Amino acid sequence: MGFLRNWPLLLRALGPAGPVLVASLAAVRFLERLVPAVTALALAALVGVLAPPATPGTFTAALPPILVLGLVVLGGHAGEAAAAPLEYLARSRIDGAHRERIGRAVSGSRGIAALEDTANQVLLRQVRADPEHGVESTPGSGAVAALRWTCGLAGAVVTCAILARFAWWLVPVVLVPAAAHRYLRHRWSLTGADRWRTAIRGELHADVWRGASVSPSEGKDVRVFGIGDWMVDRMQGHLVEANKPLWSHIDRTLRLQWSPLLLVLAGLVPAYLLVTHGAVSGTTTVTVQTAVLAAGWSLYQALGGSADLFHMAGAARVLSSTAELRGRLAEGGRTATGGGGAADGSAPPRGRGPSRVSVIRFEDVSFTYPGTDSPVLDGVDLEIRTDELLAVVGLNGAGKSTLIKLLCGLYRPTSGRVTADGVDVATMAAGQWRSRLAVVFQDFNRYELSARENVLLGRAGPPDREALDAAAEESGFAGVLERLPRGWDTPLSRGRAGGVDLSGGQWQQLVLARALYAVLGGDVPASLLVADEPTAHLDVRTEFALFRRLEERRRETGIVLVSHRLSTVRRADRIVLLDGGRVTESGTHEELVALGGRYARMFAVQAERFRTDRTAPREGGPA
Amino acid sequence: MSRYPSLWWEVLRLSWRTAPGLTAGAYAAVAVSVGAVAAVGLSLRATVDATAQGAAGAALLGAAGVAGAYALTLVLQDLTTELVGTVSDRTGRMAVHPRVHRDINAVQGLEHLERGDFLDRVSLVRRSTGSIARSGWNAVLAVASVLKLLVTVVLLGGVDPVLLVLIPLAAAPVWCDHRGQLLVQRAEVEGAEAHRVQQHLFDTLVGAAGGKEVRVAGAAERLLGIQARAWREAERVRFRARAFAALWTLAGWTVFVAGFTGGIALVVRLAAGGTGGVGDLVLTVMLAVSLRQTMQGTVATAAEATGMRRVIEPYLWLRDLVRAERERGAADEPPPEALSRGIALAGVSFTYPGTGRRALDDVSVLLPAGSVVAVVGEYGSGKTTLVKLLLSFYEPDSGCVLLDGRDLGRVRTAGWRARTSAVFQDFGRFHTVFRETVGIGDLPRMGDGEALREAVRAADAEALAERLPEGWETQLGRELGGTELSEGQWQRTALARASMRGDPLLFVLDEPTASLDAPSEEAIFRRYMERARAHAAVTGAVTVIVSHRFSTVAGADLVLVMDRGRIVESGTHGELLALDGRYSELYGMQARAYAPEPGG
Repeated sequence: MGFLRNWPLLLRALGPAGPVLVASLAAVRFLERLVPAVTALALAALVGVLAPPATPGTFTAALPPILVLGLVVLGGHAGEAAAAPLEYLARSRIDGAHRERIGRAVSGSRGIAALEDTANQVLLRQVRADPEHGVESTPGSGAVAALRWTCGLAGAVVTCAILARFAWWLVPVVLVPAAAHRYLRHRWSLTGADRWRTAIRGELHADVWRGASVSPSEGKDVRVFGIGDWMVDRMQGHLVEANKPLWSHIDRTLRLQWSPLLLVLAGLVPAYLLVTHGAVSGTTTVTVQTAVLAAGWSLYQALGGSADLFHMAGAARVLSSTAELRGRLAEGGRTATGGGGAADGSAPPRGRGPSRVSVIRFEDVSFTYPGTDSPVLDGVDLEIRTDELLAVVGLNGAGKSTLIKLLCGLYRPTSGRVTADGVDVATMAAGQWRSRLAVVFQDFNRYELSARENVLLGRAGPPDREALDAAAEESGFAGVLERLPRGWDTPLSRGRAGGVDLSGGQWQQLVLARALYAVLGGDVPASLLVADEPTAHLDVRTEFALFRRLEERRRETGIVLVSHRLSTVRRADRIVLLDGGRVTESGTHEELVALGGRYARMFAVQAERFRTDRTAPREGGPA
Repeated sequence: MSRYPSLWWEVLRLSWRTAPGLTAGAYAAVAVSVGAVAAVGLSLRATVDATAQGAAGAALLGAAGVAGAYALTLVLQDLTTELVGTVSDRTGRMAVHPRVHRDINAVQGLEHLERGDFLDRVSLVRRSTGSIARSGWNAVLAVASVLKLLVTVVLLGGVDPVLLVLIPLAAAPVWCDHRGQLLVQRAEVEGAEAHRVQQHLFDTLVGAAGGKEVRVAGAAERLLGIQARAWREAERVRFRARAFAALWTLAGWTVFVAGFTGGIALVVRLAAGGTGGVGDLVLTVMLAVSLRQTMQGTVATAAEATGMRRVIEPYLWLRDLVRAERERGAADEPPPEALSRGIALAGVSFTYPGTGRRALDDVSVLLPAGSVVAVVGEYGSGKTTLVKLLLSFYEPDSGCVLLDGRDLGRVRTAGWRARTSAVFQDFGRFHTVFRETVGIGDLPRMGDGEALREAVRAADAEALAERLPEGWETQLGRELGGTELSEGQWQRTALARASMRGDPLLFVLDEPTASLDAPSEEAIFRRYMERARAHAAVTGAVTVIVSHRFSTVAGADLVLVMDRGRIVESGTHGELLALDGRYSELYGMQARAYAPEPGG
């Protein structure tokens, strides 16, 4: 039975909350759950005192049970009050640890194909433990509910003992329907949690429009094109479709509410009738009767409310999905790595490998994105030396960005291999290989953290102040830094206290600093700097200054530059043109221009504009 | 607080409209549960008293009644939870959710999206539509609790009027709990920033786009560390508040329980004196115990309600924003049909709210009707801000924008926007099918195949559309099971979208080709120039191009050079070169880079 399997699993999930917290919480909840049973006992004791004909001493005799009753009730409140913060803390710690584990598992997968997989994204959405809506459960909420439920069992045991005082067989008479009642509700919750899982796919589509409503980028388009209302209709359409199965399940369970009612009646009616009959006929006392009347229904309560069961069922699903996700990630990792390799992409370089790579080769590399037919790269042969500035040019969609991703080992070639000094990079530990690279992606990350963290995240290892400043200087970010209100400590998001938003160009300088930070320091400084359109948003002056500085470092660190601006590309030591998934032209600017091929034509197109415009006053300015 | 009841009422009406059956069921369940309180107490007393008197028939009947009343109470407990839960969820998703998003989109400016602190509130509201719906139902539950309390009072008063003293004492836990919840609420706000940071980092880490860079940089460990620290930071603040709140709660209940214990002693004394039966005692204790549950219900819902302020306050704020805008929108003039003079800025200054520096500083310029205007300058010089003011995303702090002499502030924003089109540097990436991501550029013509094809052609995106696995119907975004586009390809979809509208008066291209290859850039610029001329001839449309690339600027009728929020040079390309100032210097730098021999 799923429940019996899930229950210990959820209790084990309490681990990250820490033994002290779990023990205190368990103690508090245990005492609190005893309250209904003990109340029944105290009340029965009181009735016992009062039942016989009153004497002058009756009131004095009644005082101890009255006091006990008061203390028990107070204890219940104290338990409830204390449980609230403790449960919050336990939930938060468990969910925090869970998220960390998920984050680690995800970043441990070598490539990114696994992240782009829809099924994995659906799983991620389910297990991320960041509820956006009330119906989502987290491992924390489930584990805490399981603990609460377990403590409730203790209350149930005491209650059963009370019932047994009248007659042992009363215990199964009440307990069996009570258990059946809870089981029924648990099943409903499980199905509900499953249905919620199927709703996620639709929710992901709705998220596209949800996100668009609160994004400054999409927000501009939304307003200019006036698609606000249309977008909301689309989103609602997705929501209805996604939630229909869940809602129809809930509707069905609501129509079936007569069955739990019958189950409760089946347990309580015989018990209450029998004990009352016994009390009237004198086989038992009014004291016992009162105890049974009060205790009988507390057994039902002890077995947990529907919210607990709901969270337990939901969390159990989250845990099983987590296992599924980890399995899928590990599997993806295996097929992507070929050899063991460090699980974590950020593992420090290990092994003997030369600290400085001198030649990287693409050997007949082809690549087709999973789920598509046409290859993006089709037999690429390319040599990259780490003492030259190599420019890669090509039309949009020629596969330049894919080439970079393969170089970084983010995908594995469909055929062929990428080698570093003769060693297939796929056989190297991911962290070891990647620590040799510093990459500026076109869609770089904008962390909502301080400027310092934003640069430090360029590589693993302890912060290096000198490298930090040097990187800022070389990338030109130092100039931006001067204008930030709190310098390196300024958070780069206006949503944060004292934070500022950087412009696109400023971000680009920061990201260059981030890459240079990896080049300038660390145990093994990166040997190759890869930059994909690093200056698209920079103005002319900044761009020129930057390239001049970069050129100076090409003998120490190889540079691969992907750019559409051929004015910068022409100064490269070597230019390769990617066309139709292969390298079709390769050579210096002069050689390629002389060749008169596609590169020459592309350059001519850009140069033409300046030349024709030179009909305007020439030599106007000082050189 | 005074606006809450009307909000609750509104939410409950929405519930009724969204799910009438479930709503009626929820009301019924709540009503019956109030009656069940009395049924439990009375049947218990009857049973115990009948037993004491040896009346077998009455006792058995009473016992069956107790069983029935308890069974009803139990089932209603679960039923109410589920009914209220699902009704809130559905109302939240189907009624509040669209309303909130419509409100967010109805705000015509951008401040609520570009200002971090505002965006926080907006994001909180849009994530909390379920809670907003729930708030109305919490009010219903609170009313039910009060009714249960009244039933209890009447029954207790029947035993002995002195017991009515318990009622005012019941206010103690309610008040104390309220105090505690205020602490919790404050902590929620205090921890919000840290919470959001960790959310952002986590999403970056597990997303395909963000995960790529994290992997290559080997930054995962460091990132996870920061994320975990932020999580703990939020946790620390919020736990402390909850601990103090627990103390408040405990204090309140201590007062109440002391009074309750005294009440029991009184009833016992009466019973011992022979005035009351044992049944009275059982009734009193069970009522008091269930009073505890009743009160706990009240306190819990009150607590939830105060916690809800966290989401309701920003929701009311958003609605105020929308209302204020609607009222201001009294400026309801239609935009001109065509431009004859042009768009003018007259002494326009603008500072982004919450920043100290002027993004635009006393800018006056005429963008003549039918012209192509290029805006150049180093970054942070105010180019994009200028464009945002032209599109009414912000209003000038001083000065005004004039359309053929008419103040833009008096023109209906939606009407004006309908006559504009734009591509921004940070264009939107709508992960839907390709046809839609282009088509939304002109909703009325979304199904017009010819218009779509024309727009795609203008953006030089035909090859892209052809290469997509399912053509125009291809879902975009690999995470949604579709095809991922490269940066340049996304830019083309944005350009195509912007080309959907046939007769704009203002066409804005903000760094439109930053990610495009040379032949496409050339082709696209040629086409957009032609387009600009064609529009200009018909409606006197103005095309504004913001660019760093001087090659693309040279063909403009007017070039504006900006620096620190001011226009420092303006004129045609030729005039500016002759001026031998900043423009000529920057142009020279780029031109030399393309000269036959690299100059130095």
